[in-house]
Amino acid sequence: MNTYLLSACALLALGTGTAFAHVTLETQEAAVGSTYKAILRVPHGCAGKATTAVRVQIPEGVISVKPMPKAGWTLQVKKGKYEKSYQLYDETVTSGAREVDWSGGSLPDEFYDEFDFRGTLAVDLPAGQTLYFPVVQECDGAAERWIEIPAAGQDEDALEYPAPGLKLAPKK
Amino acid sequence: MSAASLLRTVCTTGRPAICLLAAIVLFAAIAAPSPAFAHAALITTEPADGAVLAQNPAQFSLTFSEPASPLVLTLVQPDGTPVPLTSFRLNGQTIEIDNPQTLGSGTHVLSWRVISADGHPVGGSVLFSIGAPSAAPAVSEAVDRGLRSAIWIGKVFLYIGLFIGVGGAFAIAWLAKGGHSGRRIVIAAILCGLVAAPLSLGLQGLDALGAPFARLAQPGVWQAGLGTSFGWTVLVALVALGLGLLSLVGPRGGAKLFALAGLAGVGAALAASGHASAAEPQWLTRPMVFLHGAGIAFWAGALAPLGLAMRRKPVEAAPFLRRFSQAILPVVAVLAATGIVLAVIQVQAPAALLESTYGRLLLIKLALLFFLFTLAVINRWKLTGPAEAGETEVQRRLCRSIGIEMLIVLAIFGVAAGWRFTPPPRALAIAAVQPASVHIHTPKAMADLSITPGHVGPVAASIVIMTGDFGPLDASQVTLVLSKPDSGIEPIKRAATKRGDGTWRVDDLVVPVPGRWTARLDILISDFEIVKIEAPIDIRP
Repeated sequence: MNTYLLSACALLALGTGTAFAHVTLETQEAAVGSTYKAILRVPHGCAGKATTAVRVQIPEGVISVKPMPKAGWTLQVKKGKYEKSYQLYDETVTSGAREVDWSGGSLPDEFYDEFDFRGTLAVDLPAGQTLYFPVVQECDGAAERWIEIPAAGQDEDALEYPAPGLKLAPKK
Repeated sequence: MSAASLLRTVCTTGRPAICLLAAIVLFAAIAAPSPAFAHAALITTEPADGAVLAQNPAQFSLTFSEPASPLVLTLVQPDGTPVPLTSFRLNGQTIEIDNPQTLGSGTHVLSWRVISADGHPVGGSVLFSIGAPSAAPAVSEAVDRGLRSAIWIGKVFLYIGLFIGVGGAFAIAWLAKGGHSGRRIVIAAILCGLVAAPLSLGLQGLDALGAPFARLAQPGVWQAGLGTSFGWTVLVALVALGLGLLSLVGPRGGAKLFALAGLAGVGAALAASGHASAAEPQWLTRPMVFLHGAGIAFWAGALAPLGLAMRRKPVEAAPFLRRFSQAILPVVAVLAATGIVLAVIQVQAPAALLESTYGRLLLIKLALLFFLFTLAVINRWKLTGPAEAGETEVQRRLCRSIGIEMLIVLAIFGVAAGWRFTPPPRALAIAAVQPASVHIHTPKAMADLSITPGHVGPVAASIVIMTGDFGPLDASQVTLVLSKPDSGIEPIKRAATKRGDGTWRVDDLVVPVPGRWTARLDILISDFEIVKIEAPIDIRP
């Protein structure tokens, strides 16, 4: 256990220094078929500039999405058709939120904030794989795009702007 | 060795040290390194070098820095089988070649050998793949040293025939006025040229086809040689040599006319091919080469008859010497003026004198010319007057001096013949601005990236992007990232701007060091979708 901790610490210390600057999900593992509360952590702005908008793309298979409003930010949900239909309780769902935007706010570089939404992870999502939530962080005249998804076999640490990922666990 | 024996034949002073010096210079000219740069530089090809094509191309095209015509075009298939490409069209500076067959998948080599107006064959190859790259078939482009030496010797002999032979015939007809001194040497030189000229044509044919010596007897080789611009040089040279010979052995009445026409033929033969004649602007370079060639023939041709006349019949030689010394000043002025103009056009920047083989040969030639001019000035202003007045000691000195001049002239011929193998800085400059290009192919996206010029310093990058299946790719943003981890250089990141023609460009870019860089393109396809593709790209020093 100790060696595990030590090596984890070493990894953190030696790993990419920018790791803490990434936009990430607070909870990075959830079971398929469950309701998931996504907390997007935005640790700082784009190269010193204040964040003015956070936009997240909802991946296929995350249904019944409801974002949490934030004071000082305009919340907008872009809806669209899903690629296939999903069964939610007794209901067949074919469309819903594809993108959630919080805009018009100001999150200075020296502060930290979270942007939340909840959704249901469809039962037919592949357990064991990672689901990615690409995020575009906009600042005044600049943008950081946390949208890189590792190719098969690619090390996630090698990515400059990785999309926040959620590991899918088997249905409970 | 034949160069040395040639020297012995023409040597009039019999001084071994000087003969040796000349031989060393000649040898240095042979041994000078000859870079494999193109004389007519290849600018673009279709398909591009390294391209991966989805389907069989209907035709290929090669675009050069100046109009060029193909000598040998071969398509080497992935299994190594060569297919001759015989159907092509010339379209300005572009050669369009029909693809005769459906190509299988794998890497093919389009091997080309072309000739441009300078009459010097150049070759190269373009690799492209159908479907996916495979191991490239082997195609070699080796330098045949034996053939090169033979071409060089042939060229020196041709110069001897034209300048000493035809020039000598002119001097005998116009300046000696009835004197026959040096007639035998001049005839020998003309015969030399008459043998060397056709032989050079065959050697040129071998070089044109990239063929070995063993094929010299084949008619195709001679046809290839005749088909190049050097063919004209040989034909005109043969006429000039014939006119020179006719003026010596033909009817006396026509001697002067034949000699004059022969001298003009020397200029015309040189203007028909060669680097200098091929340079732009042609309206300037060709007349310059003509005057330069005729001037050399006038000067070099007069040396042997004059020297021999002075040694054998000093009294008869006096008017010959007077006429020569009167005429030589304007001739040298024309030689110098035309030489300077041509050198400026060819070398362009003074630095190229030292940096290129062509420039170094020019420097050797200038050094030899310096000695030659020094001797000529001494002869003209110190020795000519007393010699004309009949001072025998001075006449003997003048004889010796003329002998040395002859040797220096021969050495200059050797150096000038060495230019046959070196592209002038003008052509190198065109080659230097060629872009470094790379084709990046991934299932998600493809890109053609070219960095112009492809060497260190300020450059501009041009990017064409496509989808993985050759469809249009409408990206909202393209970023070029150049990195060279082994040199400890942080990635250079530049956002590209989209041009009206659909290409993406990066202008404010400086590549600091040469070598193999990694070029990455970050292509933002939509708000939430990015594709990053990368490939190595070689940047020249």
